[in-house]
Amino acid sequence: MKTLNLNKKRLVAGTLALFTLSLPATAAGWAPLLADDDEEEEEKEPVPEEERTQYLFVHDADIHTGTGEVLRGASLLAKDGKVVEIGYDIEVPGVHYFQDVPEEERDFRTRTLDARGMRVYPGIVAISSSGLTGTGGDFRDSIDPFSQNMVLGLAAGITTTGQGRAAVKLKRYVELEPPLPYDFDGIVLSESTYTSVSYTSSASRRSTREKMVRTAEYLREYRRWQEDVKRDKELKEPDKRGVDSNLLSILDGSTFGRFRADDRDDLLAIARLAQEFNFRPIIEGCREGWTVADELGRAGAMAVVTPRERRDKDERLVAEGGSSIENAAILSRAGVQVAVVPQSQGISLDGIVGRDIMHLPVEVGFAIRGGLSDELALASITTVPARMMGVGHRVGTLEVGKDADLIVTDGDLLHYQTFVQYTVIDGQVVYDKQEELFFSHIRPRDEVELPPENPLDSGENPEEESAEEEPAVEEPPASADE
Amino acid sequence: MILNTLLMAASPLLATTPDVLAIQVGRAETVSDGTIPNAVILVEDGKITVVGEDLPIERGIPVVDLGPDSVAWPGLVNCYSRHGLDSRAGNDSRPGVRASAELYPSPKTYHELLELGVTTVGLYPAGNGIPGRAAAVRPTGETVEEMLVADDVYLKVLLRANSASKKMIRDGFEEADKYKEEVAKAREKWEKEKEKAEKEKKKKEEDRDPEKMNVGPFVPPEPKPEALAFQQLRDGELKALVSVTSAADYLHWTDSFGEEEFGWDLRIPASRNLDIFHVKRDIGSRGVRVVMEPTMSLHPNTRRLRNLPAELAESGAKLVLVPRSDGMADQRDWRHDTAGLVWAGLDRGTALRAMTLEPAELMGLGERLGSLSAGKDANILFFDGDPFEPGTELEAVMLEGEVVHGEMR
Repeated sequence: MKTLNLNKKRLVAGTLALFTLSLPATAAGWAPLLADDDEEEEEKEPVPEEERTQYLFVHDADIHTGTGEVLRGASLLAKDGKVVEIGYDIEVPGVHYFQDVPEEERDFRTRTLDARGMRVYPGIVAISSSGLTGTGGDFRDSIDPFSQNMVLGLAAGITTTGQGRAAVKLKRYVELEPPLPYDFDGIVLSESTYTSVSYTSSASRRSTREKMVRTAEYLREYRRWQEDVKRDKELKEPDKRGVDSNLLSILDGSTFGRFRADDRDDLLAIARLAQEFNFRPIIEGCREGWTVADELGRAGAMAVVTPRERRDKDERLVAEGGSSIENAAILSRAGVQVAVVPQSQGISLDGIVGRDIMHLPVEVGFAIRGGLSDELALASITTVPARMMGVGHRVGTLEVGKDADLIVTDGDLLHYQTFVQYTVIDGQVVYDKQEELFFSHIRPRDEVELPPENPLDSGENPEEESAEEEPAVEEPPASADE
Repeated sequence: MILNTLLMAASPLLATTPDVLAIQVGRAETVSDGTIPNAVILVEDGKITVVGEDLPIERGIPVVDLGPDSVAWPGLVNCYSRHGLDSRAGNDSRPGVRASAELYPSPKTYHELLELGVTTVGLYPAGNGIPGRAAAVRPTGETVEEMLVADDVYLKVLLRANSASKKMIRDGFEEADKYKEEVAKAREKWEKEKEKAEKEKKKKEEDRDPEKMNVGPFVPPEPKPEALAFQQLRDGELKALVSVTSAADYLHWTDSFGEEEFGWDLRIPASRNLDIFHVKRDIGSRGVRVVMEPTMSLHPNTRRLRNLPAELAESGAKLVLVPRSDGMADQRDWRHDTAGLVWAGLDRGTALRAMTLEPAELMGLGERLGSLSAGKDANILFFDGDPFEPGTELEAVMLEGEVVHGEMR
């Protein structure tokens, strides 16, 4: 699938008209053709791979952009890891033009991915996981881009994940021909994506609220000072004593505050705090969120839920409570953005299948069962978690200018039977189901694509049947003797 | 010498090894010049002078004919060992330390190696990070001087995929840069002083200040061990042997030094689930040596056997094989373990080279050791058959012209 579909015909004079077009990849490839014959004698050094523009052309797929649109039989072009075009009739260098430039003279390399009959989705974003990209905090210097867990994460369609406070890409090392240096700097999208706030015990509530008051006061003073200092340059910066820098980053909007709460009372308290201090909380757990969805919606809360979680309500309380399969749907209807995580956030190859980070789409399936729309279900594992980590401008949807992180599936992503066939990160194919040991034997790709060899049921073609039956009579089954 | 030769010619039994000796073997696997059938090896003053097929032997030179089944190999070179050194590995990172400093000559301990055909041993210092410099020794002798073949044969480096480890490499080169600046500054200062001295000399005799006139030769400031080691790496005076345990380690290693150019080889312990095959093409394209044990690995998390030494060699890496451990049992099995890899697909010539010439070249001793060719030390093993076949015995071991083990019959 990585081979180029090259037109072998020699360049004829008529195609010189192409020169007038201002195309992205000009230069090196064309210079010798334009030059005089005698000057052409010099042997040209092939263009170094790292200086070439890298294209990936994913064609003929149903593209689910994640923004609500589905483009049937469309194509996507990635250039140096970014999406540059999505749609129809995309002109691709090396495929539709420049195909006669010898490979070594090109200042670009085009790889194609035939996704005929398949679907393309944005790569899945796991809001939190563990063990996919190594254990260390300093990912740039400790990532294991060969680890089995990373490959399994990619097999599950995950391209970006929150690990600790960082947002990290599952940048697997791929040995390309010719080789490209590994992109160490592209691993971490964001170092710190959120600030944890504890607000469930009465003591933590009191102290957090006190700090919030002081911090908000400081922020007001600081903003006033910012205005005043323009007029009076001597004015002193407001006193920063007693200001919590973590809370400050929440209140000034540079990070999201992340809370862990499940009970109705706690959720209401967080909603009140958020409204009082005017910030948008992310609430992990949010089990009883469905009972106070309107309040959470009004507070602009976002929730990270596990639809399969089950817990009875506290019988001492009169109000509604406990878990509900409708949680995600009800929260969404109230305007709460919902992201989904499974029960276990690592890769687990034992215990009950389907509850670990590899099964995000399955987990989402239960939210759909509870009434969540397909579109919001997809958003809950792509757009919403990307936004919650503050990396929504890079990943989460397929749009021009964003990172070319995508998955190619053999069916509806949210269907239990669907497999991820390819995973692409930064315009590079980093997972191919047929190339790995894990799932290659389950419904291998060729069988999926080819029409069945014998379209007839047995008995529909009587001539063939009788021809086969005759020798069977002569050789009685071995079991009959025993 | 003539007298000596005459005496020797008279007695076919060799009580001591003569200065000149011609040895006839059924086959000599020279490593550097292929396999020579019916080979004659002429040894003179501890060196090999000629190796060739059916060479005429000058009258008077004692001849030992080992018969048509005999096979000669160059002496084995184990470049990665701590044989006879302290088994309690330290935890220090000291690039200035030499393994020869802890060498404790013990003829008995090292003779065990000679009996197995190991004629050169590379001893490395134990520790973490950059534990120090390895030494090449001959496994015989009563003093350090007698044993030592060469010092500083490689700088041992351990690199793991973490920021501390990578920082160590980056800092090392930075230290070398700083030291270079320091030297430049010191030289500038010295030159100024010299200039002043010249001026002083031109003055009239009564005005001269004799103290100012005396400027000695330039003495560069003393470098830190880190600075010195990395400076030597850059200058090509020292090579690094970098221990990595996984493909990730290797990737972070190549990232750690960036654009710096210097000589390095790899030490990759052949573990069960080794995943180094992910980067075999990159390793191969760099043409570096890989020091491994002759064992098969399993494809990670499967039961599929992989012959990683063979895979790496096929990708272009230069293979060096070392015994599985310093334990005597593993040392004894070294040849048979390697034969196992050959049986599983490793090229025979590569396997032999990996135990002889390649480790010698790794230690910068390729000119002196590692093959049966004219001008090299006469470190020769004599077998009674194919050494890669089970049941073949090592009949005699010659170290620098002396038969140090067994008998040549």
